Amino acid sequence: GDSDVNPNFRTLGKISPPVMRKIEPFGAQFLAYARRKRHGRTFSEDQRI
Amino acid sequence: MSDETNGLVPQGSPEHYAIGISFGNSYSSIAHISGEGKVEVIANEEGDRQIPSILSYIEGEEFHGTQAKAQLVRNSKNTVAFFRDFIGKDYKSIDPTPCHGSAHPIEENGEICFAVRDTADSETENKVPVLEVAARHLRRLKNSASDFTGKTITSAVVAVPTDTNDEQKAALTKAAANIQVEILQFMPEPIAALLAYDSRSPDATADKNVLVVDFGGNRSDVAVVASRGGMYSILATAHDYELGGTQLDQVLVDHFAKEFDKKHKTDPRKNERSLAKLKLEAEAVKKALSQSNSATFSVESLADGVDFRSTVNRTRYEILALKTFGRFTRLVEEAIKKAGLDVLDIDEVIMSGGTSHTPKIAKNIEALFPESTQVLAPATTPTALNPSELSARGAALQASLIQEFEKEDIDQSTHEMVTVTPHLTAAIGYQVTGQPVDSFTLIIPPDTAVPARRTKVILGLEGDVLIRISEGEREITVTHREPQAKPETNGTKEDEDDDDEDEDEEDEAEEIREKVWRPKRPLAELIFRGLKKGSKVEVTANVDAELALSITARELGGKGGIRGEIKASETAQQNGSA
Repeated sequence: GDSDVNPNFRTLGKISPPVMRKIEPFGAQFLAYARRKRHGRTFSEDQRI
Repeated sequence: MSDETNGLVPQGSPEHYAIGISFGNSYSSIAHISGEGKVEVIANEEGDRQIPSILSYIEGEEFHGTQAKAQLVRNSKNTVAFFRDFIGKDYKSIDPTPCHGSAHPIEENGEICFAVRDTADSETENKVPVLEVAARHLRRLKNSASDFTGKTITSAVVAVPTDTNDEQKAALTKAAANIQVEILQFMPEPIAALLAYDSRSPDATADKNVLVVDFGGNRSDVAVVASRGGMYSILATAHDYELGGTQLDQVLVDHFAKEFDKKHKTDPRKNERSLAKLKLEAEAVKKALSQSNSATFSVESLADGVDFRSTVNRTRYEILALKTFGRFTRLVEEAIKKAGLDVLDIDEVIMSGGTSHTPKIAKNIEALFPESTQVLAPATTPTALNPSELSARGAALQASLIQEFEKEDIDQSTHEMVTVTPHLTAAIGYQVTGQPVDSFTLIIPPDTAVPARRTKVILGLEGDVLIRISEGEREITVTHREPQAKPETNGTKEDEDDDDEDEDEEDEAEEIREKVWRPKRPLAELIFRGLKKGSKVEVTANVDAELALSITARELGGKGGIRGEIKASETAQQNGSA
């Protein structure tokens, strides 16, 4: 019932259960990811800094 | 060797200087980031960039690399080679086969050792633990890097195979610590190769499935890597510990030994020293055949004092090595199968390791894949990087990224709390009214780690438009053209799997296999009304760490937009409609 607000958006289902996998801790993108995760930031929060 | 500077910091020598090291059983290499910011593979004093991982001793003098390799003929018992895979291992678990032509590994006090006369007093045989051998090898690499860069090497990122266990890593760390080098990180060789290529690619953060093959001297390793937004997850690996350049050398050894035997009635393989000469020359001939169409095999006093000279052309060699070449291809197929993927799912193949220079092996692998798959090897892509340098390059890039960090920070960031994370099992994509019912365009591919955000622009919309966001699945469709013996139904859809990937590829000509994405589970619908002709809508899908999906869609140039969020499933396992 999270879509009632917007008449142009209708929820039909949820994302399938994920699998747990390891991201290889190498490269610039990973370092950025680790920084976000350790500081509990989202993408946009991180971009603003 | 230790820099006695009396507390003065030598000019141009920062506190930390980190290099990349590729430490192989057969060859090692070292690389750093040059002053201009480019990755540079360092040549040692002999001018070698691929430095044989070999140490040899004559009257207390230590020889290393190519010089030590030459000692395999006259001084094989005091020459230590092929020891990397023994480090951190139990004596009973190792395969000493590659060491038959050099010092044999022995067990001493529960340690793997080599008995060599390594002191000036050339009578005494010392039992040198493999850890010490590794330290001596690493010291030579460190010194070569120091001489080249003019800086003291304090740390390194070391590329190792994906199946290197914690004991092996701990042992390597200890060996490096013995020569005052801190190993900042161990890097899986396929990831190093991938980073080496991505670092020079304009769209390194594109989503793609990459197959990295590492064909070495005594072993071959293949990995399937999901590269998503510049982050890498290994989906599957396959290893063959009895396949590599040595098996190809053997093909040439046998070929020339037989020829010699026919002429001179003696088999040079039966004499140790003759066999050592055969092996060295066979490797040189093999390398020459990767560069040119024919090569000369020439050994002085091969056996019974008889010189031997012969030639072989590439075609002949490829026929002789046909069976061995096939084993490389099968290892690739095994890895793809393990990942639950099809050849059509692989966007890029990176060929790494010395044996990847062999043109026919690269061509065989290229033939496995559709034309759209880029195979990065010298024989298939003119701009390919040198396969022998990839691991060291990747390790050097990583070293430069992290050399300023504290070891504690690195350890925290690489902890499983950070690295083990949910990955999407299904693709997320969209369908639009006016398009065929089961058309489906990807927004986020499967095997993407969350959080993830991707944006797509849908072109050419008009009027009232419904955009349906769904989870999708990849299907392989098989179309049979011009059926010959028994007619097959046209347009049969099959669910992947490789019933048709037998060894003989002759009768695959009329079969067309294609990859298509199909919607499987609807997630959300968005409605735009009264769009003008040729409108563009930008859709952004954002999956957060808790697996809530938010969708944002807005008409480019228009005002307002649609936004909605789908919360994550309450329970971990949900029996959905799939």
